[in-house]
Amino acid sequence: MGDNYGYQGYSNANYGGQNANNNGGGFMSGSQQGSQDSPNGQKVYGQESLRPVTIKQILDATQAHSDAEFKIDGSEVTQVSLVGQISTISPRATNIVYKIDDGTGTLEIQQWINSDMEEGATKPIALEGQYLHVWGRIKGLQNKRTVSSQMLRPVADFNEVTYHLLEATAIHLYFTRGPPEGATVKAEGGNGMFVDNNGGGNVGAAQGQAAGKKLPAKTSAIARKVYHLLQEAPQNNEGLHVQNIASQLGMQANDVFKAGDELLGDGVIYTTVDDETWAVLEY
Amino acid sequence: MSETTPRILSPHLDSFTSRTVRLVGKVVQLRGDQATIDCAGNMTAHLNRDSHLTVGNAVEIVGKVNPDLSVRVLRATDLGREGSVDFDAVNAVVDATHRYKEIFYAD
Repeated sequence: MGDNYGYQGYSNANYGGQNANNNGGGFMSGSQQGSQDSPNGQKVYGQESLRPVTIKQILDATQAHSDAEFKIDGSEVTQVSLVGQISTISPRATNIVYKIDDGTGTLEIQQWINSDMEEGATKPIALEGQYLHVWGRIKGLQNKRTVSSQMLRPVADFNEVTYHLLEATAIHLYFTRGPPEGATVKAEGGNGMFVDNNGGGNVGAAQGQAAGKKLPAKTSAIARKVYHLLQEAPQNNEGLHVQNIASQLGMQANDVFKAGDELLGDGVIYTTVDDETWAVLEY
Repeated sequence: MSETTPRILSPHLDSFTSRTVRLVGKVVQLRGDQATIDCAGNMTAHLNRDSHLTVGNAVEIVGKVNPDLSVRVLRATDLGREGSVDFDAVNAVVDATHRYKEIFYAD
């Protein structure tokens, strides 16, 4: 893992050069797409994501400048998955272009053909009118958006289409409105029950969709209690000692240790001056 | 020509006259070049020559809504036996389409 990170920094530093290469010619970038394991074609390797989207979202995606990653709902997208009905198929020497329509817009999908591909793989795998599920990368060429596919296959079960559209909606809402309400309500409930005088402040924080302050859903009630006390405590570098926490919450030191282990394990708090003094990890 | 085809159900037809829409439903009856399709309510579809519908099957229609709220079919896709499509999920997509239309269609 550590090695990986080191390499990303290096690869980002060389980004300009690689990009020139990438934009040099359609086939060039296509052949890099084909061998996905090779790090050469990747730009932001550390933030790879695969996001389900509608075609309208791709057409509406913003780009700060022509080399920048595309953004949807303010968050960068590297790879996308989409589903659409094929309107036309144009087989060419080096690629096959599928024009697809998912009801939200139409988009051309490019499937690059490698010379080392098997015979059968160079022919279109679907028919006009069929639904296609595509995984690939958004390309912007002369103000025209296309998706260069790494993989695609025909949809055999129509429920996959409905599922994809619902999933794209859910992810869109996650990015525009924050995590599902259920989780927020649960956290608020915890605050209200255990730390009465802090309830008001925490509700605001929880709704502010600050991802960093959100505890994992499996966090126990005791751990939540300890976490919120640490959060509300006067901030200094030292944080709070276990005995201090125990007396403030009226709990057994034993239970506080268990809660601490849980929070340390989740990486939301850290030890400061010694193993028994904790502070909230802010980022 | 508008490139988006919003997903709707029969009750929404009057809000989408002269627009191209998508409907998923069950074929109830076939009569010459007309079909009755149940998409949360019956509607009449005027078929084209390429439409191959089967009574009892699920179908997806892309078509233009006429002033009398019938639909002139541009493309019909057979989706197999009725049980193979989860209509609750289809209706949920229609609901999401209009509730969060920013990712589905422009007016």
